[in-house]
Formats: sequence, structure tokens, C-alpha cells
Amino acid sequence: MKASRAFAVTKRVLRDLKNDRRQLALIFIAPLLVISIFGVAFTGSVKDVRVVVVNGDTAVGNSSLSDKIISNFDTSVLNVAYANSESDAVGQVQNGSASAAIVFPSHFTQSVVARASGQTSVAPANTTITLLADKSNPNVSDPIIAAVNTAVAQTIQGLGRQAPVSVDSSNAVYGANAQFIDFFAPGIICIAVWQLTTLLTLISFVGERTSGTLFRLLASPLKESELVAGYAVAFGIIGIAQSAVLLSAAVILFHVTIVGDVLLAFGVIALLAIVSEGLGIMLSSFARREAQAIQFLPIVVLPAFLLSGVFWPIQAIPEWLRPVSYILPTTYAVEAVRSVILRGWGLDKIYPDVVALLIFASVFLALATLLLRRRE
Amino acid sequence: MKDDVCIRNLEKDFDGFKAVNNLSLRVKHGEIYGLLGPNGAGKTTAIRILCGLLRPSSGEAYVLGTKVPDPGVVQNIGYMPQELALYRNLTVHENLAFYGEVFGLSKQQIETREQALLKLVDLETSRNLLIDELSGGMQHRISLACTLLHQPQVLFLDEPTVGVDPDLRASFWRYFEELRDAGITMLITTHYMDEARHCDRIGFMRGGRLIAEGSARELLELTHTDSLEDAFLVYSRTEELQ
Ligand SMILES: Nc1ncnc2c1ncn2[C@@H]1O[C@H](COP(=O)(O)OP(=O)(O)OP(=O)(O)O)[C@@H](O)[C@H]1O
Ligand SMILES: [Mg+2]
Repeated sequence: MKASRAFAVTKRVLRDLKNDRRQLALIFIAPLLVISIFGVAFTGSVKDVRVVVVNGDTAVGNSSLSDKIISNFDTSVLNVAYANSESDAVGQVQNGSASAAIVFPSHFTQSVVARASGQTSVAPANTTITLLADKSNPNVSDPIIAAVNTAVAQTIQGLGRQAPVSVDSSNAVYGANAQFIDFFAPGIICIAVWQLTTLLTLISFVGERTSGTLFRLLASPLKESELVAGYAVAFGIIGIAQSAVLLSAAVILFHVTIVGDVLLAFGVIALLAIVSEGLGIMLSSFARREAQAIQFLPIVVLPAFLLSGVFWPIQAIPEWLRPVSYILPTTYAVEAVRSVILRGWGLDKIYPDVVALLIFASVFLALATLLLRRRE
Repeated sequence: MKDDVCIRNLEKDFDGFKAVNNLSLRVKHGEIYGLLGPNGAGKTTAIRILCGLLRPSSGEAYVLGTKVPDPGVVQNIGYMPQELALYRNLTVHENLAFYGEVFGLSKQQIETREQALLKLVDLETSRNLLIDELSGGMQHRISLACTLLHQPQVLFLDEPTVGVDPDLRASFWRYFEELRDAGITMLITTHYMDEARHCDRIGFMRGGRLIAEGSARELLELTHTDSLEDAFLVYSRTEELQ
């Protein structure tokens, strides 16, 4: 394999894009449009969610901290009901009549006061509000968590001094103030790169076949592996550029919070672009014309869109469908990019996803090369 | 095996259909060989086998003494596909530079050869135009330039003059003759029978077979005709009767 020949291919692909405004628009403007539509559709749309409060706090009246917190709940988001026991409240969440149970421990006010004045004998559990939300739909559970946290912060601020109150929403793994757009933005970026890279390679390669350029290349010293590698580098670069634009849009337009290392996220996305490029080349050998190539699009896009955890966690997907999720490269990319951006995870924690993507990349690139090497 | 191109009992099957049927022919070093025949005769298929793009179903093909397909011999082959085989979103220069790099040419080599070739095809002023902005004939001329850039020893030109105006066609053939005199071997397909007189030898192809072969003069004399068109028809009818 000679790097200079592969690099010639990379340059060629990038030049092709540079000279073609239509393709440039497809790469950058279409995903921006998509993320904007989703952003507008899902930002702040959650209203009037029924939550069940179990208040075990023995303090009553003005001195009750729990009542203060509850009175600070944003009532446009939370529709508060009460239950006498945690099991009753959880039952309501389970049967779907409520979206979350909010449990204050007994002696809550007393414990907070005690800990605030330095008594270490009181366990932190006694000052912790437990939030048991229906996590299958982050679209709903996110605003609940945010609303509760806001109310707690407001209450503590009103006290005018440090108070050791915490909210345990430990099932909510992404940032406590996260909104739904924070949750799905990394996923949308991955899907956009996946879909457009596959589509572009597919169309470019069908073009190489129909225009005869592939004949010229296959009758030249350029090796099939160099052709595939050259395309891979080009689309890796394009993938990074795309995700940079999309991520900037998400931050500027929708205030998505980036906790982790952006470069690591870009690395993962470039890897996903290379996987998609391999897939695009493979599919191109089954299409004779551009119109036939386009027909592959739903097969490539729909499962990734619905089953790789972009809008709801994999855990919320029916068990019999989950194997499909696990054979989709996007599942690993979405998970890794989301973990980096929202949880601030490093390579030490996302490496299983990266390894999975590396395996996909090797297999797809090898198959793409083999299919090109095949002579009728 | 002294001949630059040698095909022996070559067959190519496409799902039971024989596109090339027991074809044998040789092209000598420094010779222009014209392959003539109607649509579907198998000319392109034969050339694709010689360029290593298709695998023969049976029989064998040699280029410069090497059995094809072979990854080494391609450096010395110049292939002009029947399709345009250019990147439409790239400029003339970008196309030439890309193919040059693929064949391992240096920047310097690309520059000098590009100049000479653009002069040859009379498109010096179009260097920075997109292929899409050129007329069909102009595109064809750039396709030829891309084929010649790496200075191959053997040329396989699949209808190099289609869509090219008569003046330029004449100058193409003059250039092919120059190349031949410099020792380059050429296998050229064409539908223009009148052009075939520039070839040292001609092969008539029909239904995947070679039905006649010889110099233009020989073919005319043997068939008692005064055009290659008529000569082809004579051979074609004889073949049909058999
Ligand atoms: N990949 C293929 N699969 C099936 N049949 C094919 C394939 N390629 C060529 N053929 C058939 O083989 C025959 C010879 O085709 P070929 O392209 O070699 O003809 P040709 O002599 O170059 O014709 P033309 O003058 O029109 O270019 C045709 O009947 C064609 O339909
Ligand atoms: Mg042909």
C-alpha cells in the first residue's frame, strides 16, 4: 500500500466536494436543518407532568423545608399529587398514571438543619430526596429532574446559607440539568454523519462505476485497498467537519452543554464516518445506477434512527429487537459520543464502544476492498 | 512471445452468453491494430480483459509478455475506456493531476506532460475549466490526454475518436502514427471504417469472433471491394452462411 496514491484519492474526493455546491449543501445544511427541527420541536415542550410526592418529613408548617421545596416546584411543568407511601407512589409510576415519584425521607428538615450545623452523625441519606422517574422517556424525565433540582436550588438560596440537600436521581445518568436536546444532539450528529457518509460514498462509487473512472483506476497501479483507504481518510475529514458544524449549532442555538473532550468525540465520529464509507462502497457493488443506490437509503437510515439509542435508551427497546441495535455501528457511536459530551467520559471509559467501531471499520473496509478486487 | 499483445482462444461468458468467442489475435510491437465490428461484437469486452478488468472464462491473454490480469503490467498500459471516465466536478488540470499521481508521476512530470498533451488536443486554454463545462468532443479529447499522461508502451483505445470533429480526428491519427513510429503499440476500436486505413492491420469482429484479419489493402483485394465497409459486409455474409 502506497500512501501517496491513497492520498491522491483523498484529494480527489475533497476537490469533488469543493467544486459541487449541491453536495456541500447536502453535507452541511441538511443536518443543520434536521437538528434545528428536532431542537425546536423538543425544547421546553414538556408541560403538566404528573408526579407523586411522598413527604415523610415530620416537620410541618413554615419550618418545613420539604414544603418549601414543593412550593418552589415549577407548576407549569410538574402537576403535583401526593401519596402516603413510597410503594403506592412507585405503583403509580409503574402503571403509568404518574411519571415520577419524589420521596422526602422522614425527619428531612431536622436532618438538614442538623447537618448544616455540623453534626456528622446524621447520614447523608437522611437529607437526600429520592427521585424515581420513569426513565424510558428522557423527553419527560429530564424536565422533571431539572424542575426538582431547580426548586431545591431556589429553596436553599432562600435560606441564605449552605444546606446539604441532595437529589438522588441516580438513574438519570446524564447531567442533572440536561434537557432532552442534550440527550439527543450527540445522537443526531452521529446519525447525520452515518447517513450522509453512506449516501455520499454510495453515490460517488456508483458514479465511479457508471462514468468509467473506476475502470481507469482498476487498470492503473492504484490498489483497491488504496482506493478504499483514500476514500476513508476523505470521509473521516468530512465527518469531523460536519460534526464540528453541527455541534457548534447545538451549542449556539440550543445551549447544549459540552462536559467532555470535544476532540475525542470528533475522533469517534471520524471512525463512524469510516465505517459508513466502507458500507457505502460495499452497497455500491449492488447498484447499477444512482436511482438504485438511493433505494438502499431507508435500510441504512431507519434502523439506525430508531434503534441505536438516539431518542430513547437501548434499554427501552423491546428485547427481541435489541440484537438489531447491537449490530448497528451507530449504537456504539451514539453511546460513546453522548458519554463524552454529556458525562465527560474519557477514552478509558468509552473504549469498549471504540473497539466495537474499530472492528466494524476493519470488517467493512476489508469487505469493500474484496468486493472491488473481485473480477467478473 | 515477441508480440506486445497476444490473445489465444479467448472466451468470455456472461451467464451463458459468449461475448467473446474463441478469439485469437496478436499485435506486434510498434503496430496499430484496428478492431472493427458492429455494436455488441465484443470489442470492449476483449479490451477489458486485456486491461485486467475482466477475467477470461477460458483461453489466455498476454500484454508485453505478461499474462493478464497482472498488477505489474498496468504501469505500461494506457487504457481509454469507451465511457468518458473523467470526474465531471473536477477541472481538466485536476483530472490530469489525479491520474498522474495514481501512476506515480511527480508534480514536475505532470506539469510538463500536461502542457504538451493539452497542446496536442488543442485545449490549452481549458486547463482550469470543469469537465462539465466542456463540449462532448472536448471531454473526449481530455479523456485521451489522461490515457497518454504516463507514457505507456501499449495503448488500448476504445473508440478514441467518437464525437470528435473531422479536423481533430485527422490530427489524432497523425499523432497515433507518430506514437507508433516511436515504438508504441496500439489496439484501437472504431466504428469509422474510413479511419481504419490508418491501421497497419485490421481485425473484423462479429458475434465475439474474429471473422477476418489483414491490412486494409489485403482485405480490399481479397473481397474485390473498394471500401472497408463493403469488405466487412462480404465477410459478414460469408460468416452468416456458415
Ligand atoms: N457485464 C456484462 N454482462 C452481461 N453481458 C455483457 C456484459 N458486458 C457486455 N455484455 C454483452 O457482451 C456483448 C459484447 O459487448 P461489448 O461491449 O464487448 O461490445 P462492443 O463490440 O464493444 O460494442 P459497441 O460497439 O457497441 O461498443 C454485448 O452483447 C453485451 O450485451
Ligand atoms: Mg464497445
